[in-house]
Amino acid sequence: MTGLVSFLAAALCLFTIGIVGALTRRSAILVFLSIELMLNAANLVFLAFARYLGQLNGIAFVFFILAVSAAEAAVGVAIVVAFIRRRRTTNLDAANLMKW
Amino acid sequence: MMTIVFYVAAFVAFAGALLLVFHRRPLVSALGMAATMLAMGAFYLLLHVPFLAFFQVIIYAGAVMVMALYIIMALGREEPGPDVTLRQSLGALLFAALFLFALVRLLRSAGSVEFRKALPDFGSIREFGNVLVSHYAVPFEIASLILLAAMVGAVVLSRRNWE
Repeated sequence: MTGLVSFLAAALCLFTIGIVGALTRRSAILVFLSIELMLNAANLVFLAFARYLGQLNGIAFVFFILAVSAAEAAVGVAIVVAFIRRRRTTNLDAANLMKW
Repeated sequence: MMTIVFYVAAFVAFAGALLLVFHRRPLVSALGMAATMLAMGAFYLLLHVPFLAFFQVIIYAGAVMVMALYIIMALGREEPGPDVTLRQSLGALLFAALFLFALVRLLRSAGSVEFRKALPDFGSIREFGNVLVSHYAVPFEIASLILLAAMVGAVVLSRRNWE
């Protein structure tokens, strides 16, 4: 049977895969997509607990997270495009201007 | 029935996410991510929030993935640079170990917590709309400001000569 724990375990797996992707990929686009994956795993936890507690607050949070992440995706894609234009590469190691 | 749907969706989600992280070609990675987003929609349906499942498919599997695929096709077909460094793989291993620890703790502590039977109007768009325009009215308005700011910001950032 599927209950709260199954959904939490699925969200945990997806979050970990996302964090491993964000740490190991080089391409700016794929790091961006890995971060989106982590965001979605967090959404799944919100919804699982909303269903478990029978409250609408978790659903409202996921709704606002969806709106903010749409905005974040637009700005993030614009930043990636500007970065690729200036540096002629998608490699994130080229973004070293503010690196210590 | 619900169990079968859950495991199929979980399989698709994990397979897509693993493609995203481990496939060499960015295009295949992005398509795996799209599959994951569709599977997340199935999860949302199982959790009795059908309208969020539609939003998930439209916004993520639609808008975000199309933008990402556009960049990959236009600008970044190849994964650049050398392979994973030792420091990166150490960080990844650390998080994987942390994950295993958390998963074992989760499965052992709670066992299986079943969902109670949902109220008939839980997750309906009528109920949610009431909450949205009464209790969450101010955040709702602020969300529109954020979307406007993001639109302007994206246009400004992607101008051709922006210095």
